[in-house]
Amino acid sequence: MQLGFLVDLHLCMGCKGCEIACKVENEVPLSTWRLRVKYVDVGTFPETKRTFTPLRCNHCENAPCERICPVSALHYLDNGIVNIDKERCIGCAGCVMACPYGAIYIDPQTQTADKCTYCAHRVASSMMPACVVACPVQANIFGDLDDPTSNISKYIMTNQGGVQVRKPEKGTNPHHFYVGGGNVNLNPLASHRVDGHSLFGKITTLPVGGHH
Amino acid sequence: MAAHEILAATNAVVTLDVALPGIVWPWLVTVNMWAKSIGTGVIFMLFMLLRMHPESAKNLRLPTAIVAFVFINIFLLFTLADLHQPFRMYYIFVHAHWTSAIAWGSFMASGFLGLLTLLIFLAWKKNDETYDKVLLWTTILAIPVTLYTAALMAQCTARELWQMPTESAQMILAATLSGSAAMILLGGNKLSYEAKKTLGVVLGLSALMAFIIYMSEYIFGPMKAEEVAVVMEYIKGDGPYTVMFWLGQWIAYLLPMVFILLSRSSKSESILKLAAIFALVGLAIVKHVWLMIPQLLPMS
Repeated sequence: MQLGFLVDLHLCMGCKGCEIACKVENEVPLSTWRLRVKYVDVGTFPETKRTFTPLRCNHCENAPCERICPVSALHYLDNGIVNIDKERCIGCAGCVMACPYGAIYIDPQTQTADKCTYCAHRVASSMMPACVVACPVQANIFGDLDDPTSNISKYIMTNQGGVQVRKPEKGTNPHHFYVGGGNVNLNPLASHRVDGHSLFGKITTLPVGGHH
Repeated sequence: MAAHEILAATNAVVTLDVALPGIVWPWLVTVNMWAKSIGTGVIFMLFMLLRMHPESAKNLRLPTAIVAFVFINIFLLFTLADLHQPFRMYYIFVHAHWTSAIAWGSFMASGFLGLLTLLIFLAWKKNDETYDKVLLWTTILAIPVTLYTAALMAQCTARELWQMPTESAQMILAATLSGSAAMILLGGNKLSYEAKKTLGVVLGLSALMAFIIYMSEYIFGPMKAEEVAVVMEYIKGDGPYTVMFWLGQWIAYLLPMVFILLSRSSKSESILKLAAIFALVGLAIVKHVWLMIPQLLPMS
């Protein structure tokens, strides 16, 4: 079994329900996110639109975070999930530096690395991840990539030409796919980042260690 | 920023992305790399001097081992200080994950520190024969100890700028640059002028080669990878690290090279010492800039 995620960006409407469900389910502290929805505004007024891209750990088959972790705090589960053992983590932040998707952060409360685990604890109890349950339009499709009859496998087959992963050139083989994504959704360098031009721009960041 | 592909047609602007991590490895890691360069570099230089200028270098066995011991301890102390869970440091030794350069580095640095302790003991006992045998193995171990940080940076898949071939060359050159600089200062009256001239040549050539590599990356790096191009923007034009980058290049490499030429033409040891001080200070600046700029790159 290799669990994977697919987000149909045609369906996502940026409600952030997945983000909140994740926060609640995993007790993610203030100023940190296991899953967040990136907004990118595209076009020139009046021809403008807003795109929404949920971003979470890609649970790579060849995960740089797992490779760099000196104590195996980041490890693979048999079902393909890249899990984290916070009791084992020494907080070297090597994984944060290695992840090409910016999906790992230092938890300001535990001072250890943390990230999306595809709700491994729920999956172990045969439940869907919290973000999947919360999505009102079923934009999040979760399932077994090894099973050709699973929803995610069928979705990938149906949308073969439009299935993408983020940064394929990194060789990480993500188990997280997007349908309907353009360059502005998936390439962080394809859009401007203007200071003071962001919603919630003045968000308070909790300190992670005295020196950071 | 002109390097990346923001199309005028899309005019795309990120209006919400709250999880930019910012600087993850701070100045503590700069000190870590700087101190390790000195700690391994002086061992390389002692090994060389004992073969090229044995009479002059024989009195440096104890001081060199002490300096290396102190700087390797500074390196380890700052490594520890950078951990968010420093009291779990020992997990590396009991739960080592061997695909990680951090795990390899921790074991090798610990072994290196053990050999340095042994060297101090042997020098104190004036057992030069055994000292020189142990020094050979210490010098050999100093190579991977100084290189493992390059491997760690190479394992940071997110930071395209750090490539193993260039980083390993820079790590070795940082060790020979700072090692020769530290030995020039440490040598005092113990080292002959000829030995110091040799150290000056090592310092000058290390500075030259390191400068060439940085300039190659500066000019040609952006032609190969979009991410490198964006990172280079931080040290070009009015980038946030432009001034610090060039300050580092001048203080670490260009001025020491000039000073070494001047010292050779005027046979001045004072100018040679000035070159050594500049190289040591500048190296910290250069290392810091190269550590910071890839961390400014947006990941999402």
